[in-house]
Amino acid sequence: MILNVKRVALALSFAAVTTLAGAAEKPRIEVEEWTMPNGMKWLLYERHDAPTIATGWVAHVGSANERPGITGISHFFEHMMFKGTNTVGTKDIAQDLRLIDEQEQVRTEMRALMAEMRARLRRGEIASMDDPAAKTPRYKELEAKFDELVLKQRDNIIKDQLDQIYTKNGGEFLNASTNEDLTVYFMRLPKNKLELWAWLESDRLLNPVFREFYSERDVVFEERRLRTESTPLGKFDEAFNSIFWDAHPYSWPVVGWASDIPMYTLQQAKDYFTTYYAPNNITGVLVGDFKTAEVKPLLERYFGRLKRGPAAPEVVTLEPKSLGEKRFYAEAETSPTVRVWWQGVSVVHKDFAVLDLLTDVLSGRTGRLTKALVLDRKIANNASAFVNGQKYGGFVGAEVTVKDGQEPSAAEAALHEVIDKLKTEVVPDQELQKVKNQAKANAYRRLSSATFIMFQLLQNDGAGDWKKINTQAEEVDAVTAADIQRAAKQYFTRETRAVGIFTRKAAESGAASQEDPDIAALPAEAQPMAKQAVARIKDEKDPAKLKEQLEQMRGQAGQVKAEAKPIFDLILKRAEERLAEIEKEGKN
Amino acid sequence: MNSKRIVAVALPLVVAASLASAQAVPDNPEKLTFAPLTYNPPSAKDHRVVLKNGMVAYLAEDRALPLVNIQVMVRAGVWLEPPGKEGLARLTGSQMRAGGTKSLTAEQFDERADFLAAQIGSSMGDTSAGASLNCLADNLDDSLKLFIEMLREPGFQEDRFKLAKDQILQDMKKRNDESEAIEGREFQVLVYGDDHLGNRFSTEASINALTRADLSAFHEMYYYPANMILAVSGAFTKADMVKKLEGAFVNWPSPKRVVAPVPTVIKTASPGFYRINKDVNQGRVSVGLPSVVRTSPDVYALEVMNEILGGSGFTARITRTVRSNEGLAYSAGSGIGFGTYFPGRFRASYQSKSSTVAYALQLVFEEIKKMRETRVTDEELLTIKNNIIQTFPSNFESKAQQAGTFAADEYTKRDPLYWSTYRDRIQAVTAADVQRVARQYLVPEKMITLVVGNQAEIAKGDGKHDVTIEKIAGGKVTELPLRDPMTMKRK
Repeated sequence: MILNVKRVALALSFAAVTTLAGAAEKPRIEVEEWTMPNGMKWLLYERHDAPTIATGWVAHVGSANERPGITGISHFFEHMMFKGTNTVGTKDIAQDLRLIDEQEQVRTEMRALMAEMRARLRRGEIASMDDPAAKTPRYKELEAKFDELVLKQRDNIIKDQLDQIYTKNGGEFLNASTNEDLTVYFMRLPKNKLELWAWLESDRLLNPVFREFYSERDVVFEERRLRTESTPLGKFDEAFNSIFWDAHPYSWPVVGWASDIPMYTLQQAKDYFTTYYAPNNITGVLVGDFKTAEVKPLLERYFGRLKRGPAAPEVVTLEPKSLGEKRFYAEAETSPTVRVWWQGVSVVHKDFAVLDLLTDVLSGRTGRLTKALVLDRKIANNASAFVNGQKYGGFVGAEVTVKDGQEPSAAEAALHEVIDKLKTEVVPDQELQKVKNQAKANAYRRLSSATFIMFQLLQNDGAGDWKKINTQAEEVDAVTAADIQRAAKQYFTRETRAVGIFTRKAAESGAASQEDPDIAALPAEAQPMAKQAVARIKDEKDPAKLKEQLEQMRGQAGQVKAEAKPIFDLILKRAEERLAEIEKEGKN
Repeated sequence: MNSKRIVAVALPLVVAASLASAQAVPDNPEKLTFAPLTYNPPSAKDHRVVLKNGMVAYLAEDRALPLVNIQVMVRAGVWLEPPGKEGLARLTGSQMRAGGTKSLTAEQFDERADFLAAQIGSSMGDTSAGASLNCLADNLDDSLKLFIEMLREPGFQEDRFKLAKDQILQDMKKRNDESEAIEGREFQVLVYGDDHLGNRFSTEASINALTRADLSAFHEMYYYPANMILAVSGAFTKADMVKKLEGAFVNWPSPKRVVAPVPTVIKTASPGFYRINKDVNQGRVSVGLPSVVRTSPDVYALEVMNEILGGSGFTARITRTVRSNEGLAYSAGSGIGFGTYFPGRFRASYQSKSSTVAYALQLVFEEIKKMRETRVTDEELLTIKNNIIQTFPSNFESKAQQAGTFAADEYTKRDPLYWSTYRDRIQAVTAADVQRVARQYLVPEKMITLVVGNQAEIAKGDGKHDVTIEKIAGGKVTELPLRDPMTMKRK
């Protein structure tokens, strides 16, 4: 039975309620799905707890729709949708368009020069595309000319007017986000401002102007630096993801490869808009304090103006079944970690719920991974598994933080042992019921805020089926122990997995980048191992342990092969130095 | 082709067209008019209940979902840690949840909670501690029993305590991994001082020295009904819930103890430029100084001022200049906080590639100076005041939020008129007020500027603008070596 959660609750609050029957019996909400003649779909859900409406719309396009050379353009395009329209963001649209045109002419010539720079880079004549020496006088001249045009245009622009209008009218968290499958635009506003929202959102879908195109590329590049390049794991996560997917466009980062971001062109953005932002490729969502019958004519009046476009091209590439295990070793500024991803399924696949529940059996305080790796064998400090399901595919992931002093290889072996048990023995009833109870309670928890419901509807619709918000709990409840065993056998295979082993990179000193000259003198292939060993010695605080290690090493000194002698001597020397240091500290 | 289908598709279009002509879309959003919207915030009084044992609870019924949510605020926190026992408060908070109870081993407790699908938590922060239960209404009795057992008789099981220490010591090594973590930590030290309660870092030595008995004693000292306030929301009737809570806390005596107050003194570092080297390709910058406590009459003008300067997203001046105009950062803006016990802080921040860190800093300082020298425009003032006033209902969006806010207000003894007068006080702020508080509080010569990043690259600049951080930040230049993550001594 489908209940409109809120309506039932209200009805009962008038009666004398002594039982808990007022609450919804199932974690379901009654959403009205409505498609306009131009193909734009709407998901409308009334909820009257606060005088606000959570609004959003999803364009069914993401980085999976890109190709090498324009990676990240979906995300960049999301930024452009905030730059205004024929009406919003400008004092004089004719002047604005003229200046955009002039800027484009300069940029066309600059792009031709950049093609020459890339040729020089291939020949090794310049170190990188940012190499100042790479810029020819003509290029610099064009840069200056372009900057001038930008300043000229600035006088004619009303900066970020879209945001200003919403801010002035009580709008909150106006923002957008992009992933592999979808681009969502969202905000919350007072319920009496819905027409303003309809005006502004339909306007940016009807008459967008991509002004400030080139400075926004710089902003996106800073976003890439912020999230990917200057964080301890950003670059590694990106690289691991790209080795996991062989053929599918999920292999490239949503933000785009560094080389591609500075190369987007205005024409590409325009083509992108025409191809993917037609109303028949968009779903709008409203959750909050409105009356469905009243908002439909309003939506029709504003969004009905959009012209249906040709169907967006489909993503046809299918990820082939992996033929062999992939392994990725990296030194990073992080705790030692084992990461395993197995090829999985799309979020709309019939096995998704099985994999979802299977990873619940593995995770959490009482999950099997915690019990085996953290509590019993004390080999890890944290261990969990999760399922990732997207529109075109997915994976099952596990992540283990290896306890200091333990070997990642041992943690990895222990992880596989836990996984293998799922193949040989069925999950006991009590354990299965436990994860089902949690899944059901969580399904209710997901419905606790209007804003969160709005996000889930956008997300689910973008990934292939908005109804998942209602069916997910039942699908999970129907999973049997036999299903889990079958899925474990089917999905957890060696050839379909990628394994990442992260070890801690030697500590960096704050004063300057500290290269150990002794390590630098070693052959390149021996350096990582030496660095690791030296770092471990530096971390050692226990003199007794160091002494023991030294004894052992001295005992082995005679058997060391000639090519290993330099590294052996270095480790011995560092261990002696460290011991002296600790003993001195002890005396102080 | 099926002609009926064509008609079916065409018909709604005709309807749409007639609607459109009846009520045309205006050519500019300014021509739209809106129905007035009034909103009265819920009042704390209507939700407050005093239990038989004297405990205060705020109850908010919400029957939409079959869930119950209980939050307990406890007057305890880092400020009560004895010296040498850094880490005790947080560990006590987390181990209450992780270490079982007197009658249940950690394994038994966790299995029961998980089977009930009850989310149970416990934690201690700088100036308050808390615990929470979120469970299905149909197993409230069983879940509440577990929850109360955790609050009253935590087991602090030895092997879980050892595991927690291992986890903390491993995470300690990560203290210098993220430039963001370094920036956040060190800026806090510069603004509030080494001894401040937010900056008493646990070390390898302090964690290793903690014993199970320390945790047990710390719990014993502060967890009793008279030292707690409850916030309860969800699917229940008020009378029924009061009975359950009274049953749950009955026979739990409260000693007559006074908890030491949170210290109010801060020691701010001298103004100037502080730099920390970290080999990343983007510099992180924080500029700021202490603000005021929340009882200051200036907080409303300061809030409006900060929104205009850097707190309102794309509408804010710093964001517009640094991000939107120049493309120098993805995130650039400012925030201001007002303290309950000691002054909050003002902080402008951004992250930019090494070469443009200095130029962006110049833009930020120029915006700060402009706030002081010129009055904000009527349009800016109106935009921000409207936004603060019209988004006011969001403070009470859910019943859980309402009950939580009321409990926190009682815990911190907030002025009971705060919420009912808030919008009028914002409305009363003038452009002159904004300028006055900018001049009084945003004094460039008093600002602390912290830059974390590759200092050699940052110093080179962008080759276009003749600007150095030293010149803009003013004051002394201080090199801050990274701390040893395990001892927190500077290397």
